[in-house]
Amino acid sequence: MKKYLSLFNISLQQEFAYRLNFIMWRVRNVIQILLVFFLWDSVFSSPDRVVFGYDRTKILTYVFGTLIVRAFVLSARAVDVAGEVSSGDLSNYLVKPIDYFKYWFTRDISSKVLNFVFAIAETVLLFLILKPPFFLQTNPLYLLGFIISIALAMFIFFVILFITSAIPFWMPEVAWGAQFIVIMIITEFLSGALFPIDILPQAIQNVLYLLPFPYLIFFPLQVYLGKPGAMEIVRGLSVSLFWAVLLWFLMKSIWGKGLKVYQAFGR
Amino acid sequence: MIWFSQTKLLTLFLLGKILRFGFFITFLYFLLKGTGKLAGYDTNQAVFFFLTFNIIDVLAQFFFREVYRFRSQIVSGDFDLILAKPMNALFRSLMGGADVIDLVTIPPLIVAVFYVGSMLDPSILHSIFYVLLLINGLIIAAAFHITVLSLGIITLEIDHTIMIYRDLTNLGRFPIDIYKEPLKGFLTYFVPIGIMITLPAKALMGLVSLPGVLWSLCFGAIALVLSIKFWKFALMKYTSASS
Repeated sequence: MKKYLSLFNISLQQEFAYRLNFIMWRVRNVIQILLVFFLWDSVFSSPDRVVFGYDRTKILTYVFGTLIVRAFVLSARAVDVAGEVSSGDLSNYLVKPIDYFKYWFTRDISSKVLNFVFAIAETVLLFLILKPPFFLQTNPLYLLGFIISIALAMFIFFVILFITSAIPFWMPEVAWGAQFIVIMIITEFLSGALFPIDILPQAIQNVLYLLPFPYLIFFPLQVYLGKPGAMEIVRGLSVSLFWAVLLWFLMKSIWGKGLKVYQAFGR
Repeated sequence: MIWFSQTKLLTLFLLGKILRFGFFITFLYFLLKGTGKLAGYDTNQAVFFFLTFNIIDVLAQFFFREVYRFRSQIVSGDFDLILAKPMNALFRSLMGGADVIDLVTIPPLIVAVFYVGSMLDPSILHSIFYVLLLINGLIIAAAFHITVLSLGIITLEIDHTIMIYRDLTNLGRFPIDIYKEPLKGFLTYFVPIGIMITLPAKALMGLVSLPGVLWSLCFGAIALVLSIKFWKFALMKYTSASS
């Protein structure tokens, strides 16, 4: 435990070592939020308008909520794993007395903590500038459901990232390409990071709810906004848990097979 | 074997770009199905703004892809070799390596622009305005990329600057009418996304007058001249430190 605590501290310091890198990443997040904020602000220019089951307050809370939830769920240092597999740098860790998954999970947590602190500061700043209405959830059960769904989402994203990062075991040259499709395109759109999934027709929604992606951003924010009932929250958390467990075993199996064919290309 | 590996990678990136485009069009379609209008524009008009954004974005990436590789040349000192060759260094750094993936996506995009544009019933004059302002948009994009190269020489920073440029142009996916002041003014005059992307589409819809078109063309020309002057200034600051 102590070595992972030290790793957490080192990782946090490393983030500060590349300050410009980090600040630019946060600036990009804010620009993306501005696009979505003004889009919905334009749609809900009339305060009484209700579209897709959202009023102005709830949709703008959803937009700002994505800034915070993204920081928790989608901020991850483990995006570098695919590169380590394809370059052969993975070998450095295999000979050390450290669990590779725990190593990256610890680094991810440090990245999430830092991103969360900045996301809070940015949210406060944007609130002061844009002065949007905000829905404050006070029901402790919804808040508990929100926290549990975020924890599950963090784990699911970590596992999805590791499954995608295993592709270079067999195809080292597509390390970045696979992440581009799975993380930057599919996860970005289907998680609800850009728009709430429930603006889509019910048939498409029903299919998407069977996948793990909506449980990364969309579902936690729905719980925060108090939109689903108690049974729906339990059902959503159960599906999240199911995906977390299934993907974990899938990842362990894929990595087990991957390590058997691993040839440390580039070393 | 190398060709096969490259083909796999290119196929993945092409698939990613098509998916992103498809997801966004789907989102836009269902958004407008539910809301009716966006900042006063109907579905076809909003889709046309998005297609115009895409055509300028893809053409800029196709022509100016070399900018993304410029940092390594500056940091390693390889830029000296470009300066020593009997070829314009700016041309080589800006347009020295076109992107094949974008080349594949350009023809279907042009067909889509033509198809959706024709549904807006434009006059011949407005169509000419559209083409002129589209070229002007590319000139402004060239000015942006030249500025990024110049900043790269001075600060050694390219990657984030170009990505922030990309994020800012992404704000042009929708008509800039959705933004409020001061952001709207910022996107019109300071980072002229409005002139680059929104104005051509508006011109096809007959919403831009001749003086507006002429003013925009002047703006594009001034932006290009200033960016070239900045490039020349940056070259004088180049120290070739790593070579």
